[in-house]
Amino acid sequence: MARVVNPSLVKTIRKHGAGRHLDISACFNCGNCTAVCPLAEDSGGFPRRVIRMAQVGMEKELLASEELWRCYACGECTQTCPRQADPAGFMAAARSYAIARYDVTGLAALANRSLLGNLAVFGLFSSIFSALLLSRMAPGNPSLPLFHFLPGEWIHNIGVALFVVVGLSAFFGMASMTWRVWSQQRSGGTSLRLATLPGAFYSAIAEALLHRRFQQCNEDAGATEHAAQPWYVRPWLVHASVMGGFVAMLIATTLDFLIKPIGSAVPPWYPMRILGTVGGLVCLYGLSIVLLRRAQGREHPYKKSAFADWFFPTLLALTVLTGIVCEVIVYLPAPTTFGHMVFFAHVVLAMDVVALLPLTKFAHVLYRTLALTLFAWRHAPAKVTASAQAEA
Amino acid sequence: MNTHVNSDFTPDALVIGAGIAGLQSALDLADQGLQVLLVERQPSIGGHMIALSKVYPTLDCASCITTPKMSAAAHHPNITILTNTEVEGIETRDEVHHVRLLQKPTYVNFDKCIGCRLCEYACDTEYPDPFEEGLGSVKAIAVPFTNAIPQKAVLNAEVCGTCGSCARVCPTGAIEYDQQPRRLMIRTDAVIVASGFNLNALTVKPQYNAQRSRNIISPLMLERLLAPHGPYGRVLRPSDGKMPSSIAFVQCAGSRDESIGVSYCSRVCCMYAIKQAMLLSGALPLADITIYYMDIRAFGKGYEQFYQNAKAMGINFVRGKVARINPVEDGDLSLHVETTEDAENPLQERRHDLVVLAQGMIPGWQPSATTPVTCSANGFVAAPTLTAPTATTAPGIFVAGTAAGPKDIVDTIAEAGAAAMQASQYLYQKRSAILVG
Repeated sequence: MARVVNPSLVKTIRKHGAGRHLDISACFNCGNCTAVCPLAEDSGGFPRRVIRMAQVGMEKELLASEELWRCYACGECTQTCPRQADPAGFMAAARSYAIARYDVTGLAALANRSLLGNLAVFGLFSSIFSALLLSRMAPGNPSLPLFHFLPGEWIHNIGVALFVVVGLSAFFGMASMTWRVWSQQRSGGTSLRLATLPGAFYSAIAEALLHRRFQQCNEDAGATEHAAQPWYVRPWLVHASVMGGFVAMLIATTLDFLIKPIGSAVPPWYPMRILGTVGGLVCLYGLSIVLLRRAQGREHPYKKSAFADWFFPTLLALTVLTGIVCEVIVYLPAPTTFGHMVFFAHVVLAMDVVALLPLTKFAHVLYRTLALTLFAWRHAPAKVTASAQAEA
Repeated sequence: MNTHVNSDFTPDALVIGAGIAGLQSALDLADQGLQVLLVERQPSIGGHMIALSKVYPTLDCASCITTPKMSAAAHHPNITILTNTEVEGIETRDEVHHVRLLQKPTYVNFDKCIGCRLCEYACDTEYPDPFEEGLGSVKAIAVPFTNAIPQKAVLNAEVCGTCGSCARVCPTGAIEYDQQPRRLMIRTDAVIVASGFNLNALTVKPQYNAQRSRNIISPLMLERLLAPHGPYGRVLRPSDGKMPSSIAFVQCAGSRDESIGVSYCSRVCCMYAIKQAMLLSGALPLADITIYYMDIRAFGKGYEQFYQNAKAMGINFVRGKVARINPVEDGDLSLHVETTEDAENPLQERRHDLVVLAQGMIPGWQPSATTPVTCSANGFVAAPTLTAPTATTAPGIFVAGTAAGPKDIVDTIAEAGAAAMQASQYLYQKRSAILVG
């Protein structure tokens, strides 16, 4: 089949990247990036092949490539690229593009294309949540407990509705990705067996939690700056602390909703509260390292930042910070007007975080896990047939 | 050979550098009856080219081309040669260039030395031979190499133990341990900068680990290994003297790589790698030879045919920039590369027992600080317009060869002739104006 070259794809993806820095058209496909990458395995899928797909406009193949999500943006390729074409930045931009394309609502396209669009979507959600909360808010009495100021039941109900909507949106996004990968695979003639799916899923989850491959980013790097970094600021550990802290807070909040009567007082050593507090602090540590390094802009992967790289950690950091302030306020004799405001902000921000999950950089939680699962599934050892065994 | 110069000497033109560019410029000027002072900082004229084995695309012997030029310059009545001499600076006043020269001591009186080499035989201090790229050794006092011009012994004061044995055996009493550096101011109307190139360090790309293996060599080392009068007389690898059986050429190891600050192409590496691969397959008929490249730039006359011949000879060309080189057991080296034309199994770990890194060409001298000549961002002498490639930003100062940018021998000789022509035309116009005025 004749292939039609589409040069506009690179331009579109470029809009998703760290602005003018990203010049992937400088790439002449020498293969240095793939060879230098600690994670590219024998199949040699990225970054060069993914870049090539973008350069010739193979959009279908690009959106169906799990390789996009096997990259952790360690920056090794960007650092050694003979053309300074920033392959790592390209991979990040292409992921942002993929998030925009997988999303069915069209909001992700808006949020990922420009800072303005990103803020617009953020503003839209914030206004909706603020309006919903304002409708049941009990103002005027600064000593009112937090969950009376904003009725706990109401927050709970909005939360449940939000989870349903976001869940649907995430489901459709993931279905879109799966379908693209599937149809590419089918044309490639690979056969998949259902029996190997759980194993593949398990390996993806294990990788997401333990960061084993992510750690290789630093270990195999050889003669680069990563090796010189102290362990507590290595990118994989920073990511693990953000993610671990977030998961801890998520578990604490969910269990709170399930077990504890809403708004009831508990001592600080209550297990769920400890889990949430520790999680918050760990998460905040990771986020502050990320934001600090991005502000310094000295080392990969923090050298070049797109707006999405700033937006998501900032949003998360503000949410955690306001949450910690709220926690302190709970143990004060009476919340003040300031306490009410912080609590209001915290609830809106927390809802924003959830609402923006399938639309922003945060969506990597969904797509990376899915891509790793699909990749592992596709590369699962083929069924050994009786005849093959006999031959062996 | 005329080597006597003092500050009263006012040559018509002064040529900086006596490599193939400087020699050609000096000869072309002198043949027009102009007086030329040729200045060289090394102990012998001849530049890089005299150390090469053969030249592409004709596979002619490099010394067979260079030696006659060196000899012609040395015997030319209109050419005066100063070796061991550096240009400290140029000042231009009233269209006259005042060139400050520093003649470094050789500790040998060239008027007395007859090149008999008795001192060299008597000396018992050796150090890695710079002419052999450090592969062989040379005495502390020696004639620089077999076909060096001038055929005079030069003493290396950094390694000499001043034992006195050279002075004792010298039949003419030419050894002068108390020789001092000498400063000269030469006034001239025209200058040609032909200061040539250096190669950037083998270790410039940390991923290639050149400091960890002696079997990662420079292309100039391989030239010496391939030369008939080379250090070992045949091709052996430096670490253990083994005859290599699998040789890799890693192209663009010091140029076309913005991560090391050399974004331009060195323009010679593709072709000399092909040439060296051809010569190697003659010297080592059983060896596997692989050239790892990003793209082969065979742009000159007869070059593409040369490349196709190499392919037909069975030299492997693998498209892909080598990302890492790691020393492995037995002194061998492992190359990590994505072979971008292999769809099935692109990422490969390939083992070789000798690796040649195509280093980048960088300027041999940066005249912008001490002369009116300006350099472009990459350090090579800048040309003011495309239509005058041998002109510099300073009137009366011209440039030839790799001082102006990476180029091969063919282009260098053409440009050296052009620079000489431009310089003589400049002199003619200047002097006829004086006559008329």
